[in-house]
This record gives sequence, structure tokens and C-alpha cells, in this order.
Amino acid sequence: MNGAGRRPGVVGWLMLAPLLLWLAAFVVVPTGILAVYSFCERDELGRVVFSFSLQSYARAFDPVYLGIFARSIGYAALTTAICIVLGFPVAWTIARASETWRQRLLLLVMVPFWTSFLIRTYAWITILKSDGVLSALLQSARVIGAPLELLYTPTAVVIGLVYAYLPFMILPIYASAEKLDGTLIEAAHDLGCGPLRTFREVIVPLTKPGIYAGVLLVFVPAIGMFAITDLMGGARVPMIGSVIQNQFFQARDWPFGAALGVVFTLMFVVSYWILQRRSAAA
Amino acid sequence: MKTLRLLVAVSLLGLGSAARAAELNLFAWSEYVPQAVIDGFTEETGIQVNYETYASGEEMLAKMLAGGASYDLIQPPDYIAEVLIRNKLVRAIDAKKLPNLKHIAPEFLGMPHDPEQKFTVPYMIGTVGIVVNTDVVKEPIRGYRDVFQSKFKGRIVVVNDNRELVSWVLVTLGLDQNDITPANLSKVKPVLAEWIKLVKVFDSDSPKTALLSGEVDLGVVWSGEAARLYEEDKKFSYILPSEGAHPFVDVMAIPASAENVAEAHKFLDYILRPEVSKLISDEFPYTNPNLAARALLTEEQLANPASYPKIEKYNTFRDIGKGAAAIDQLVTDLKSAQ
Repeated sequence: MNGAGRRPGVVGWLMLAPLLLWLAAFVVVPTGILAVYSFCERDELGRVVFSFSLQSYARAFDPVYLGIFARSIGYAALTTAICIVLGFPVAWTIARASETWRQRLLLLVMVPFWTSFLIRTYAWITILKSDGVLSALLQSARVIGAPLELLYTPTAVVIGLVYAYLPFMILPIYASAEKLDGTLIEAAHDLGCGPLRTFREVIVPLTKPGIYAGVLLVFVPAIGMFAITDLMGGARVPMIGSVIQNQFFQARDWPFGAALGVVFTLMFVVSYWILQRRSAAA
Repeated sequence: MKTLRLLVAVSLLGLGSAARAAELNLFAWSEYVPQAVIDGFTEETGIQVNYETYASGEEMLAKMLAGGASYDLIQPPDYIAEVLIRNKLVRAIDAKKLPNLKHIAPEFLGMPHDPEQKFTVPYMIGTVGIVVNTDVVKEPIRGYRDVFQSKFKGRIVVVNDNRELVSWVLVTLGLDQNDITPANLSKVKPVLAEWIKLVKVFDSDSPKTALLSGEVDLGVVWSGEAARLYEEDKKFSYILPSEGAHPFVDVMAIPASAENVAEAHKFLDYILRPEVSKLISDEFPYTNPNLAARALLTEEQLANPASYPKIEKYNTFRDIGKGAAAIDQLVTDLKSAQ
């Protein structure tokens, strides 16, 4: 622990300065503006009027919006769960592969990022639409008789979310799994652990930091995602991300949008805090 | 698509700040001003045009009010223009500098949003109407009530615009589309709740996509989208709802804060030239208010029912102030409840 508890010297502060400036300019100041706006009112034009009001918060806790929050969290939780189930074996396999294969497989995980996220989402629309690639394939293989009605359904939304966030689950788990000492697994086997018990009592606890990091990286952004829910879900059921976006453009009610944003941010902070406590306890 | 446009707009923001001797900062709808028109203007006048885009009138208003960027020419829809004029956010246009203004049909001048015809120049006129894939839907569709029937559940696309949705119900109930009162909204609620359940896709950016792919068979969409569908395949017929169609007029205006006012007038007169205005019609088949430009269009273009529908009276949207928030709340509520 030596050094970690010491206060940084002049050189240390200088090296920290860019980070602190960045945090102040892009995190502290915007969050402050958001917090101030959320207590303001709007005029007829939609401009923010600086008079104290709790009206926006009263509305944000209306059952309609709480329901939308709950739905968004539900979708994000399902997405996260599926990402763990799909991502863990992939990350594990990559981490246990030989050096050359590891590099190649990691590259494959990252290749999709070379293309714009929106273009990839449109590609999924082409795959999932009723006269699309998947439907045609399944029909010609005689798996299904009628065209597939998948696009613009909640299933399509979850497919889109899992696709978008899976790499963010794979990479942190991979980082943990790669560092895991293989001899510990051998030791577990030697001491009579079956594969399932080894997995539960050795592998999972040792890769927990990676899993927690993955959960944060997937769950938090998935709650606020609006592009996928609008494009692949047909904008039929409102998600909190699109509701907030609508306040800034369509409804021209910035204080309400800001209040929803503040509530949303506080939820992140609380969920992060809970995860931190749990990982500290683990 | 909306997000894509946002990204493009953001990347263009950087260009807007480059100080040049002669330039024009144009803030307009995405996919509305052909590149050929902008290039032609720059070639002739040497004025550099920075074209920044938005995807809704409200988005434009929000960005304009937020300040930061100075625009010389904007392209608001009628009811946004009305707000801008009332709040003195646009400057009077010098009609003497626009000799080509004479080509505009008189019915599009002095409209309710600009009764004195001092601040705006009409750009294009459109309607919101019904598109039917007549290969699939054989029965006659005349109005909103024919579209929103339970047998068409999951076969309908509509624009993702809350005010539009509410206005369709208002006219169907025989109410004024601009009269957004709590009493009227409570009458709208039960009807709209049923309609929303029938819709498969809400898409303002490209509602034609779902119709073209056969994902849906009916739509309530912008006439420009309908006109393109008709150009693609004649099976897509366009119908003005019998309950009352909503026409919209997109205008050009010069913000009060504009720095390049002379350039803005030059550009306005340039796009009012018949041969230039024709180029806009070729690419974006809305109703062209420029009569001399219409004379240059082909018979086929003029026969497109979505481009030139028969409209007796142009009953446009008016500004509803805080009513927009009430509408947003109502529609969000109904979409959540289904």
C-alpha cells in the first residue's frame, strides 16, 4: 500500500491536471447545468426560465414515467443477463486460447466497431424484416411456413441491444479470465472438484471483477439507449432514452427532460454504489 | 436516421465557424435542399454555403434558441415561423431584392403564420395523408376511420410525431386541430388509445421503408414520402383523409441575428428562379408554390397525386405554446399503457 495513501506532489497534480480539467468540463459542469435546469420552468417558446419549481420532479415521479423507467430497466437487465450467458464462454475460450489465436479472436470481437453503429443497426433491420435474410433462410429450409414477424417487436429490441453491447461484456471478462492462474483450476480438480463445482467456486469468484465491470458497461448504457429501441422496435413502446430526447426536441420542455436526466443519473450512481459494495464484500 | 442526421449536423457545426469573406450559414431540413442547387449557387456567386440540418421544426427552434451558432437563413415549418415572428426572432425580408418572388402562387402568400407577408418566403408545401398498398388492401380507404380499424392491426405505419397523431383524432372528432385544451385532449384520449394499439411502426424519418418492404400495408405519412412511393410503384395510392387533411408550408426566413443578410437574400432569389426551383421539385416531390417552376415540370410529375393533391383550403398548424408538452405527455402515456 506504500505510495497509494500519499497525497500527490506538484508533479502528480500536473499529471492529473488534464484529467481533472476534462472531468470538470465534460462531467461536472454539464451535470450541474442539468441539475439547475431541472428545477426551472419553461416559457411559451420552450426557453428555460430561472424560477424555482419542483413541477418537473413531480411529473417525473408520475406512474407513467416510473413505468417507463421500470420497463427500460427490465430490457437492460434482460440484455445484461443474455450478454453474460453468451459472453462468458466466449471470453473464457479466448483467454484460454494460444497467444496467436487469442490476438485473432480479440480482433474479431472488435471488428464490428470499425463500422458505424447505426449502419450495423440497419443491417439488422435487413436481416430481421419479414422479407429479410433470416425469414427467407428459414422459409427455404422449411423451418417456418409464413414470413417471420420479428422486426418491430420486443424480441427485435433485445436482439439489437445484445448485439450492440456483447463486446462490452466479453472484453472485461476476458481481461479477468486471462489473468486467472490455470494452476488453481488444476488444484481444484486434484482436490476432487467436478467441472461444475470448479466453475462455481473457483472460476466465477476469480473472474468476478470482470463480470461486474461488464455488467456496468452493459446495463447502464442499455437503459438509456434510444436508437435501437426506435429503429428496431418501431418506437412503439417508449423507453426512457427516447422520452428524454423528446423533451428536448419535440415537446420543448427542457426542465422536465433535465429532471428525468437527473433521476436517471442518480439511479446509475445508486446501482454503481450497490455493485461496488457487493464486489468489495466478495 | 434521425441520429444519423444529428451526427452529420454536429460534424458540420465545425465547418460553420470557419470565417470566410462571403459565406451563408443555411440551417434547413435534412433531405430538402438538393446539393446541386447549393453547388450552383456557390459557382455563380462565389458564396460558400454551410448547410446544417435538423430533423424536426422543434429541433430547429431548440438549437436556434440555444444560441452558439449564427444562422443566416432558416427553413421553419409554418407554426414555428409564427412563433419566431411573434418573438421578433426573424427579420423582415426585403422583397425588392427578390424579383423572382412574383412566381409564387398568391394562395401561399399572406398565410396565417405571416399575414403581412413580411418575414417569410414559402419553400415547399406538403400534406399529411394516407398511403395504401392497393395490391393488398382492396377495399376503399377514404379517411382515418378506414385506416384505424382493428382488422388492420399491425399493418400500419405512421409518422412518429405526437402533434400529428393528436391532430388526426381532433379532426376525426370534428374538432379544431389547433385547439389543444384539456377538454379536447380528454376527448382525444380514448380514440387515440385504440389507434395507437393498431400501429406497427412509428417512423418520421423514412416511413416509406416499412411500406416498401411489405412490413405494413397502410400508412399516414408526409406527402413527399408518398410521392416517392408512387414514383417507385403505382400500387401505392395517396389519399387525402376525408375528415380533413393537414397541409404544411415550409418557409424560408432570415433570423434577427443573421450576419450575412445580403447573401441570404441572394440565395432566396436564386432558389426562386424557375429553373432552380424545378431542380428542387425533381429531387423532393412536394407541392412547389412556384408557378413558373411548375410549368417546367413533366406531366407525370404534375399528375402525381401526392405532389399536387386537390386542396380547397390550406388549414395549417398554428403555434400551441405549452400545449406541446400536454400532447407529449398524453401520447407517452398512451404508448406506455398498451
